[in-house]
Amino acid sequence: MHPAIRFGLPALIAAALGWGFLTLDGQGPEGRPLAMSLAFGAAFGAVLQRSRFCFYCNFRDLIEKREASGVIAILVALAVGAIGYTVIFGAWLPTPALERLPPTAHIGPVSITLFIAAFAFGIGMVVSGSCLSAHFYRLAEGSVISPFAVVGALVGFGVGFLTWNPLFLAVTSNAFILWLPHQLGYAGGLLATLAALAGLAVLTIWWSRPQAVGTPAPVTGREALDRVFIRRWPAVIAGTFIGAISVLAYFRVAPLGVTAELGSIARTAGTGWGVLPSTLFGLDGLRGCATVIKEALLSNNGLFVIGLIAASFVTSLLADQFRPRRLTGVDVVRGLAGGVLLGWGAMTALGCTVGVLLSGIHAGSASGWVFMAAMTVGILASWQVGRWTGLSGRA
Amino acid sequence: MNALKKGLAAMVAAVAVAAVPAVAIGQDGPLVTADWLQENLSDPNVRVFEVSVDTGVYERGHIPGAVNLAWHTDLVDTVRRDIVSSDGLEAILQEAGVTEDTTVVLYGDNNNWFAAWGAWVFDIHGIHDVKLLDGGRKYWEAQGLPLDTATPEYAASEIDLPDEAAPLRARLSDVLEVVEGGADVSLVDIRSPKEYSGEIFAPEGVQELSVRAGHIPGAVNFPWGGAVNEDGTFKSADELRAAFAAIGIDGSKPIITYCRIGERSSHTWFVLSRILGYEVRNYDGSWTEYGNSVGVPIDNPSGTVWGRI
Repeated sequence: MHPAIRFGLPALIAAALGWGFLTLDGQGPEGRPLAMSLAFGAAFGAVLQRSRFCFYCNFRDLIEKREASGVIAILVALAVGAIGYTVIFGAWLPTPALERLPPTAHIGPVSITLFIAAFAFGIGMVVSGSCLSAHFYRLAEGSVISPFAVVGALVGFGVGFLTWNPLFLAVTSNAFILWLPHQLGYAGGLLATLAALAGLAVLTIWWSRPQAVGTPAPVTGREALDRVFIRRWPAVIAGTFIGAISVLAYFRVAPLGVTAELGSIARTAGTGWGVLPSTLFGLDGLRGCATVIKEALLSNNGLFVIGLIAASFVTSLLADQFRPRRLTGVDVVRGLAGGVLLGWGAMTALGCTVGVLLSGIHAGSASGWVFMAAMTVGILASWQVGRWTGLSGRA
Repeated sequence: MNALKKGLAAMVAAVAVAAVPAVAIGQDGPLVTADWLQENLSDPNVRVFEVSVDTGVYERGHIPGAVNLAWHTDLVDTVRRDIVSSDGLEAILQEAGVTEDTTVVLYGDNNNWFAAWGAWVFDIHGIHDVKLLDGGRKYWEAQGLPLDTATPEYAASEIDLPDEAAPLRARLSDVLEVVEGGADVSLVDIRSPKEYSGEIFAPEGVQELSVRAGHIPGAVNFPWGGAVNEDGTFKSADELRAAFAAIGIDGSKPIITYCRIGERSSHTWFVLSRILGYEVRNYDGSWTEYGNSVGVPIDNPSGTVWGRI
């Protein structure tokens, strides 16, 4: 890549991000959450890209290549976030008494619908090659599937709105909310979460095979730059950063999530064209990645996603990792089909791997664990089907 | 040992003196300024409550020491359509350490919209001296005044609210006495002009609807936002008096305010009743009750018909 592009373009994008942040921040109390969202999104995107924090790819590396580091990064992120959330909850809601939930935390409903949605999301991950947050940062790596996956997800959201009312009346309205601190207190809830994560970490390490590690080079200036800007970040550092960003974002703006804006765009367009029901039963009363009809151009979640994509372009270009390959018809089909499943799953589950799995488990919500389990079943089932049919099912 | 005891005694005395409350004075009347509130925040006889519409704003930063009130659970009966009972509010006030000597200050987002509704509920149940922070949350933030994220906990207090509600609430029958019975009462509709004229049934996106459009016959229209300045503070009493006089509301006879669900009209209730001192009741059934009632007179200048395509 020409140095002017490799270094000039990131500089331009970074400058634009800085300008956007300062402009929004300068608008006073109304602009500050928008500015913070942009900054959190940028931080999130940079960490995702630098550490290749992709739920699906990390899981596949563990199962197929027996590499533990990616999954360990996810488990560390879950643990760090759970600790931080608990600290904040304790300040905001000193007694986790029944009836009350900490504001805006993604403590979502648990139901068969959630299981089905997360299962479909898992299939969508296999078909399209990753989950939605990873598609966003992989745009910056020149992934030819990701743009189609995002378009597919928009369509999937639309389908999700169409199926929402019947599903809600049949199943979701009977859903229950299980918030661990309600049952176990803050200390008990956190201990249970950490114990479960530790158990998964033990399983992960048991299954994995040690990777050959070269002797680390002595840290020179050149080596330091390499470690920060070129090579993949170590798992524990990546996980700690993701967990910390999640906690700070919840503290200042809202829980992490990457689908609210996508959903809002789909809902606004669909309602505008008159193809979506004007009333979606109970949707506004449920916790998760809320999809509202858009009233303002700029939203917290929209800026978060813009920051995410922009920052991952910065880090990807600097690392010379923008490597598009030739687009094939298969890519288009897999992107669109997988995207529809991702979108439908994320709409119906009220979020995706970030909004439900990550932010849910951080908040001590059973919905996060159910999403994780059902998504895993979906992935394993898809692989099995792939083996039977001879389709590889790999990105 | 003695010296130590003396020293301790002196310290205790000093702390005790420092803790003697500066009497919360200087703000008679229904409003407190942000400056006054900031100076009196540490006064144990001042208790601040936030009543905001948006969830999560309180927790992410509120006026230090303020207690959160969730309008949709704390201040209403969650089963029947009614405000919180006297006992319910009493429990909330006791938990917040409010006594009969406490100066209660409410504030919230959206120009004190729901804080004013909270003030109406407090007033009904006997906290007649409840005050609003002028400008509410918006003004406090714009001034760059400090916010806190910790949830305060206060020692429980004893307070006994009267069982009988203050006569600040109008019911459907009271309104019909005006419309059909000729009672000499002014009606103030504080919704947007298009709702008042019947051009639209309700603002976009709201859940609570009425199957008829228009307004109560005889009501005058005064959109509630007209009572506040750009920075969220209330307009001066003189400006407000003149603005209402211009539409025939001068306090010479009793007034009933209403809107769609009775919350925005509490804001106007606060202006007319607490700032201007008129005799005002808020009709919290408002248009969602009146416009859904069978057989009541309605004025619908636009002639919109429910369900007609």
